[in-house]
Amino acid sequence: MPTVTFLPSYRKIDVERGCTILDAAQRAGLNVNVICGGQGKCGKCVMFVQAGKTSFDLQKYFRFFNEDEIRRGACLACVTSVDGDIQVTIPESSLIQEQKILITREDLPIEFRPSVRKFYVQLQPPSLADPSPDLSRLLWGIQKSGGPVAEKMYAPLEVLREIPGILRHSDWKVTGTIALVPGGYRLIDLQENDTAMRLYGAAVDLGSTTIVVYLWDLVTGKVVGIASNYNKQISCGEDILARVNFARKNGLAKLQALAVESINTALTSAADNAGIDREDIYEVVIAGNTVMTHMLLGIDPAYMIAEPYVPVVRRALSVAASRIGIACNQNCGLFAFPAVSDFIGGDIIADILACGMAEREEISLMIDIGTNFEVVLGNREWMFSCAGAAGPALEGGEVLFGMRANPGAIEKVTIDPTTLAPAYTTINSAKPRGITGSGLIDLLAEMLVAGIIDRTGRINTGIENDRVRKGDHFPEFVVVWERETAIGKDIVITENDIKNLIMSKASVHAACVTLMKEAGVTRHEIATIYFAGAFGNYLDKKNATIIGIIPEIGIDHVRNIGNGAVAGANMALINRSKRKTLDEIAYKIAYIELNAEPSFMEEYTSSAFLPHTDLTLFPAVQEELEATRNHGKE
Amino acid sequence: MTYDVNFGWTGTIGNVLLGATKADGGSREVSYRIGGGTTLPFLEKPVGVKSPLIAFEICDNPVYWSPIIRNYCGDLLDDLSGWTKAADKQYGVDLIRLYLTSTKQRNFSEMAAVGRAVETVLSSTGLPLVIEGSNEPRIDSEVFQKCGETGQGERLLLGTAEASRYRSIAAAALAYDHSVIAQSPIDINLAKQLNILLREIGVRHDHIVIDPYTGTLGYGFEYSYSAMERIRYSALKGDVDLAMPMICSAIDALTVKEVREADPVIQDEMAVTWEFYTGLAAAVAGAEILCVRHPKTIPMLRAALEGMQAGAGRAGTAGGQ
Repeated sequence: MPTVTFLPSYRKIDVERGCTILDAAQRAGLNVNVICGGQGKCGKCVMFVQAGKTSFDLQKYFRFFNEDEIRRGACLACVTSVDGDIQVTIPESSLIQEQKILITREDLPIEFRPSVRKFYVQLQPPSLADPSPDLSRLLWGIQKSGGPVAEKMYAPLEVLREIPGILRHSDWKVTGTIALVPGGYRLIDLQENDTAMRLYGAAVDLGSTTIVVYLWDLVTGKVVGIASNYNKQISCGEDILARVNFARKNGLAKLQALAVESINTALTSAADNAGIDREDIYEVVIAGNTVMTHMLLGIDPAYMIAEPYVPVVRRALSVAASRIGIACNQNCGLFAFPAVSDFIGGDIIADILACGMAEREEISLMIDIGTNFEVVLGNREWMFSCAGAAGPALEGGEVLFGMRANPGAIEKVTIDPTTLAPAYTTINSAKPRGITGSGLIDLLAEMLVAGIIDRTGRINTGIENDRVRKGDHFPEFVVVWERETAIGKDIVITENDIKNLIMSKASVHAACVTLMKEAGVTRHEIATIYFAGAFGNYLDKKNATIIGIIPEIGIDHVRNIGNGAVAGANMALINRSKRKTLDEIAYKIAYIELNAEPSFMEEYTSSAFLPHTDLTLFPAVQEELEATRNHGKE
Repeated sequence: MTYDVNFGWTGTIGNVLLGATKADGGSREVSYRIGGGTTLPFLEKPVGVKSPLIAFEICDNPVYWSPIIRNYCGDLLDDLSGWTKAADKQYGVDLIRLYLTSTKQRNFSEMAAVGRAVETVLSSTGLPLVIEGSNEPRIDSEVFQKCGETGQGERLLLGTAEASRYRSIAAAALAYDHSVIAQSPIDINLAKQLNILLREIGVRHDHIVIDPYTGTLGYGFEYSYSAMERIRYSALKGDVDLAMPMICSAIDALTVKEVREADPVIQDEMAVTWEFYTGLAAAVAGAEILCVRHPKTIPMLRAALEGMQAGAGRAGTAGGQ
């Protein structure tokens, strides 16, 4: 069997001949960035073969590399097979970057109260003087060691069958695992001897692109391993709609299996990295959007994607993880977050939990932006939510030089108002290849302030500056000259790009305003705006306000919570009382269907202006714009 | 029983000066200060402002003009000066609106001809002028520059700025102190956005007239009406970015199906009727300037407007200031 050695970590794995480097890397516990699901389409899993024999069709995938990379032995790991012992270098950029994840917050420390606990007990063997049954003896012992009241615990048949043997074989020294389930306390496992220190739980963000797993030691309350992995369902369709249609045609089984497999892969690498046995994982908490959760549980999602958009189930679900194939202890429980509607799923409930908005009197606005966006407004008494399509522009899609947050992506930009020369930073300080969402937002704000574009986003072609050009199809602004780039051409932003960005930002802002009007809330009453998701992490809050993605409430009141889905799942895993509130939160949220809201188009049109047609909604932005303009005139 | 005809509104429609008399450094015999309204049209007693004004539309290349007008006016269409004079003296309009249709010719570049056309109209009438430039981005800037220059001091109303092309017209207006028509496609937000854009490049509010875009009655006018009504409400409630007078020109009134396919015997009458009712509806919606192309529409519209003004108190005062 060939051995693959991954550099720089020197992680080794033996694989069968013909296995792809990607598979080898994943088996070695490395989280490779594969957006396309390993089809050789996205060009994200670039690796460099240092030594050994591989098969890779360079001609076919030529377009993904530059000369330097080819010289260094570049290949796409997903379409390169291992033909013998090899050494492969994985650049940082080909690994899924750890997202900033909020686990606890200073103002809301999470009390460590997991719902699964282990109790080591040494029992007196029965005698004629004390002939109480095995189960009572065991449960009494657990109660005496600090467990729940014996009468409140019950044992399922499978465990009952094991009890007499284990008790006697272990000489009455056993470890019982008690889980708090909807029906009460349940004895989910019984092991010989003291295994009380081996108790783990997993919090899972089940995203449609990426799966993130946090592995917790449920005795010490510490994170012991983190892993992420792409969602293998991508091979059945890039977006959710495509996957639901795939399920309609080919049945749900494959998608269900792929979702489970994806979670298992991540669980395995997290467990391997932490050096623990998956058998010691007793609880899995999953936060995923409504369709993903349905698919994972093998529930038909087909009726959710057409009018009247009805999910099968909204409430939180507790099931045995083994029943759907999750690879951990056979008695492990699985808790799936509840949903509000087909569009507001468990991931958003997790965001809400993570930012704490459902616990406070003050009003918060929470925005999760991806290709689709979700907005939630409210406090501990009431909540409104809506969802819509933001279009891919804010993530760098549908923009000529837009790209995801990979090395070489321009992530921050400022523009000198006099020379119009941009100053920028790129991810990993690599030579620029394109512009990422946060960079595009900076650009828009800076171009507006510098007067390169007007408030509708049109480029003032009357400006005499080399960077302002008529362009082949649309007027454009040169952000980086060819000689400074890694791609051999000028990186520009066109008027059409700007139009797409403005349409995206207008839908998000219009959604915020629609909820605010529904609730009768003005921007002055919003105490905090939370950004959830990767998008918010890199975003310049001030520029986001200047271009009017969010209502102006002062940048000190805008916070990023990062991956709120996994943060919320973490909280629900380590604190059982948080979990209890979830259904309550989900039922409290009223869902506003934007398509059915007659005022939405109107709000959209007035939001399709920088920052907004009603300038009184953005007084500080207006003041700043006027100040810079007057300054320019002097 | 008395009403508060202002409904508690505090906003006032801003004034825009059309035309400059000798006293103002121009050569017009009359000028108008339009706007100034504090409530919906025909509700308040006239505040010394003649409103709405009726503008007669003419052009410098009648190839592009409706055959209905050609039939009625005959050779007058080929004589820009005569046409202008007829409008002023015979038809009795308040304003002349000149369309520089000659610029529609392929590869048009005779800027001197543009200047001459404007010159001709200016010298043939003492009425204030509205001038429609080209619709071609390539020559936009030069055409407006020429119009602006030729009409310097006359406080022209230049048309038409849109969100996608407003810089060249604004430049000409700013350079020679003319006003600008700001047209947006039947939407209050887009109307406001354009006014903000114009303001930001220096065009003052008292130099902007809103064109909400008017569809002919039965061909979208109900949308125009609603947009105009909302623009006016917002202005009266205090939104200064919408507090400008409005101009309406339902240019398709002469080409709608009912007119086009009318029995030749009544076609002329049908065209006039369509233009009249559209103009009247625009006045009710709040327009300060109504544009027409058929001479026969003018007296009908005049009589109807006077009748409605009489209802509001007394007849409007005669024009001028």
